[in-house]
Amino acid sequence: MVKKVISFAFILLFVATGCNHFTKENVQQNATDTGKITVATFLTNAPDWINKVIVIEGTVSHTCKHGGKRMFLVDGNDSVSVEITTGPDIVKFDDALVGSRVRISGLLKEERIDEKYLSEWENEIKKPQENHEVGVHTGAKGHMDQTDQDKLDQIASYRQDLKAAGKDHLSFFSVEAEKIEELK
Amino acid sequence: MLPRKLQRWNNAFHRDLGYLFFGMTIIYSLSGIILNHFKTGDLKHPDYSKSYWEFDVPVPSGRAVDKTYIDNVLTIADEKGHYKSHIFSDNSLQIYLTTGSITINLQSGSAFQEKKKPLYVIKEFNLLHYNNIKKLYTWYSDIYAVALILLALTGLFILRGKNGILGRGAWLTALGIIIPALFLLFYT
Repeated sequence: MVKKVISFAFILLFVATGCNHFTKENVQQNATDTGKITVATFLTNAPDWINKVIVIEGTVSHTCKHGGKRMFLVDGNDSVSVEITTGPDIVKFDDALVGSRVRISGLLKEERIDEKYLSEWENEIKKPQENHEVGVHTGAKGHMDQTDQDKLDQIASYRQDLKAAGKDHLSFFSVEAEKIEELK
Repeated sequence: MLPRKLQRWNNAFHRDLGYLFFGMTIIYSLSGIILNHFKTGDLKHPDYSKSYWEFDVPVPSGRAVDKTYIDNVLTIADEKGHYKSHIFSDNSLQIYLTTGSITINLQSGSAFQEKKKPLYVIKEFNLLHYNNIKKLYTWYSDIYAVALILLALTGLFILRGKNGILGRGAWLTALGIIIPALFLLFYT
C-alpha cells in the first residue's frame, strides 16, 4: 500500500512536469485586430497607444533566461525590437518560443528614463550584487552577459541621448502580454 | 532541554513536516543547484543544456539569401527539418531552429551554431523555484518556507545527551551559522 502511494505521488509529479505547456495555455484563437501595431511601426505608433490594449505580431528573437519574464519581437530583421513582458496570466516565455511567429495581445506601457533613474541605475551597478530588474532591457544579443563597464557605457549613451533630445526623459515602450498565440 | 512529553511532540512534528515537504525539498534543492551554477555562469541557461559549434558555409552570391541557400546551410549543419524562421542583421543572417539557432556572417561565411536541449523535469522544478506560477502557489511556497524554519528549530531538539543541542549539536549548529557569516565577511 505504502509503495503504491509513494509511486503514485512520483508518477503524478512526473506527469505534471511532462504535461507542462504554460506558454501555450493562454492562446487566443480569435485575436481582434483592434489596435494592431506592426513591429516596424511600433516606435512611431506607440505614443498613441500608451496604457491601451494592442495586438502585435512578430518573430521571437530572444527570451530572458532569468525566469522568462520578457522576450523580444522582431520582424524580418532586427533593426526594431519590441520588448514583451509577462502579464498576470502568463507564467513565462519559454526559450522554445525563440524563432516562432507569435501574436501578442496586451497593454502597451511606457517607461520613462530620466537623470534620476540613470543615477539610481548607476548606483546599483556599483553595488557588489547585480540587480537584474534594474536597467533598460534592449534585447541586444548578449545583453545578459554585459559587464558593469558595458552598462556604465550604456548609461553614458542614454545621457547623451537625453541631451540630444532636449527633453527631461527618454521613453521606452513595451507590451505587457495578456494573451499569446503561436502562429504556424 | 525540552520536557519529555514536549520532546515527543517536537519529534513527531519534525517527522511529519519532513514527510510532508520531502517533495518540495527535492524540487527546491535540485533546482537550487542548477540556478546556483546558472548564476555563476557555469550553465548558459537554467532550463536548457546548450552547446556551440563553429563552421564555415558558402557566402551567398550577391548576398542574396533565399530558400535554397538556407536549405544548403541546414544540410551542412545536419539540421534539415528543424527550420523555424530567419531574420537579418546588418551583415548577418540568423536562422532559428527547433533545436537552437545558426548565425552566419554573410561577409565571411563563418557560422556559429547554438544547439539546445530541454532539461526535462528540472525545467519545471525551476518554474516552481522562480514562482512563475504565482497565484495560490505563492502561499504554498510561503508555507514551505515557514515549514523549513520549523524543521530547523524542531531539528535542534530531536536528540538528548552528548549528541544533542547541549553537546555535539551545539558545535555543529554554531558552525552552520559561522560558515555563511564568514562568506559575508570575506566576500562582501
